[in-house]
Amino acid sequence: MALADSRALIAPKPRPGRRPPGLFATIVRRRTDYLYVLPAILVMLVVIGYPLVSTVFLSFFEITSSGERVATGVDNYQRILTDRRVNFWKITGNTLYWTVGSTFFATVLGFGAALVLHRRFPGRGVVRAILLIPWVISHVAAAYVWRWILHSDYGLLGGSLVAWGALDQTPVLLDSKANVMPTLIAVNVWKEFPFVMIMLTAGLQTVPEGLLRAARIDGANIWNQFRHVTLPHLKGVVLITTLLLFVTNLNSFTLVWLMTGGGPANASALWITQIYKLAFVGSPQRGLASAFSVILFLIMLGLGYFYVRALTRGNPDQGAA
Amino acid sequence: MPASAASVAPPRALAPARARPRTKRRRFQVTPLGLLGWLFLAFLLLFTVVPMAWMVSTSLKSEFAAIQQPPVWIPSEPSLDQYTRLLSPAGETGRQFLTYLRNSVWVSLATTVIGLVVAVPAAYAFSRFTFPGRDMLFFSVLVRNMFPAVVFLIPLFILMRRMNLYGSQWSLILTYLTFGLPLSIWLLKGFYDNIPPELERAARIDGATRFQAFRLIVLPLSAPGLVATAIYAFIQGWNEYVYARTFITDESKMTMPVGLEKFFTEYASNWPGLMAASFIMSVPVVVLFLLLQRYFVQALTEGAVKH
Repeated sequence: MALADSRALIAPKPRPGRRPPGLFATIVRRRTDYLYVLPAILVMLVVIGYPLVSTVFLSFFEITSSGERVATGVDNYQRILTDRRVNFWKITGNTLYWTVGSTFFATVLGFGAALVLHRRFPGRGVVRAILLIPWVISHVAAAYVWRWILHSDYGLLGGSLVAWGALDQTPVLLDSKANVMPTLIAVNVWKEFPFVMIMLTAGLQTVPEGLLRAARIDGANIWNQFRHVTLPHLKGVVLITTLLLFVTNLNSFTLVWLMTGGGPANASALWITQIYKLAFVGSPQRGLASAFSVILFLIMLGLGYFYVRALTRGNPDQGAA
Repeated sequence: MPASAASVAPPRALAPARARPRTKRRRFQVTPLGLLGWLFLAFLLLFTVVPMAWMVSTSLKSEFAAIQQPPVWIPSEPSLDQYTRLLSPAGETGRQFLTYLRNSVWVSLATTVIGLVVAVPAAYAFSRFTFPGRDMLFFSVLVRNMFPAVVFLIPLFILMRRMNLYGSQWSLILTYLTFGLPLSIWLLKGFYDNIPPELERAARIDGATRFQAFRLIVLPLSAPGLVATAIYAFIQGWNEYVYARTFITDESKMTMPVGLEKFFTEYASNWPGLMAASFIMSVPVVVLFLLLQRYFVQALTEGAVKH
């Protein structure tokens, strides 16, 4: 066992001076090793492999109301672009807005939080713990709490703004086409910034103190220390965190679904909420929804490639299997 | 993107190094940038705490008091009525709510236990062995993280119907298992990687079998990792909504998140009740998480930070 190498995510290189045995021989010799991962792989295969194949399969069919499957070729794929129920360009715009906006602001807030909390002060542990809570609680609870806060008539936010004299009447947020997306993004940022904070807090601890001191001795001011020492050090963590967040946001469902259901008039409908609607609400169009899922799946696969690249940076060719 | 984050609060990150050699008092000296940092922190705390405080405050009010404008933070006649109604098995609402609670506990616990049984050997193998295809398998496990739950919803819906699990809580347990596995394996692998293999080797030399070495050396040493992983799996199961909503139709089998939605549609104007239910639902995960935050954060960041 090349134990020293087991820390690395990538395959250990064969030890010099020893001729690597043939692949098949190695597989046979290590057959018991596979037993350890077998249950995990089996579960993943059944619950991920099968659905994957069957989604692709379904995407070429339309299921009639009587449950019959009618092969329709690539018809479903064409309908994604044209069908009014999908409303493709509208929801694509929304999804990009939502994903980029949420990821950006969550990263900014989370990064800021990590920096502020990097300095020791009394009560830091408590503050950090409090800031983590939104990330832990369920999306369902978060959705209802925020719906209540943002309520058009009795909401805390509107009511307070009026009471303080900032506004004449309570603002319409979730029920307004113009305001719904920024409002939802704000709630999502509330839920997600702690994740960035955790990741970058750990990242900051790896920035070598000596390097910062050296920069200071060389006359670098705070900004330059940050810019030329801290930031380059954090590049990898920031990349992975942002990528994970981006994917999470591209796949968001619960918060939007429970707060607006995609409304008003599709103003906050995202890819995923639309897929859900197509597949499970009203008269289901599972073939169409499957075709949409396949496209989404391909996009994710592309992003997944970058994710693995980021995780194995420096060895891109070895990880991208 | 990071540049603009930097402009928000760069001073704090760099301040401690300068402050450390000096006296303690020096750290709390007010500089413009430092002040900005404190203000930012205050804003974050308000942003985080206000919604949760409002949830608790509302849950202690009567339905009438809750819709009072302007909003009142401290209820004039606070009462625990909503909580007693939700948690007493005597009433209809209480019976329903306690059923959801029980179902959530069962589904989350089953997911956690089965998940650990499957993830522990896999993570151990990924950490210690070098069988061919290891990295490909490991990455295919990781990449699962990239795929949205809803994309799998339709085929899993069909799969569960075919396996006669549709409507049963096992459909949820099986689904949550696969969602939890990738991260569990990743977290646990991080912990195993940090246990020096020499310890095991020593045990093997002393005559222990591989399993004994694992049970007596690795398992106790990785206990924090196991706990962190278990907590994570539990929280995931506890909070999951989409599958729970789609796979379970029978009210007696529903879990909390779906139950909450049902409450909302049934008693739309009873905000105090809804907030009390949200609060009860949030307490277990928050408490669990806060108790074990340290291990958990360590485990989660291990993979992304260390190379």
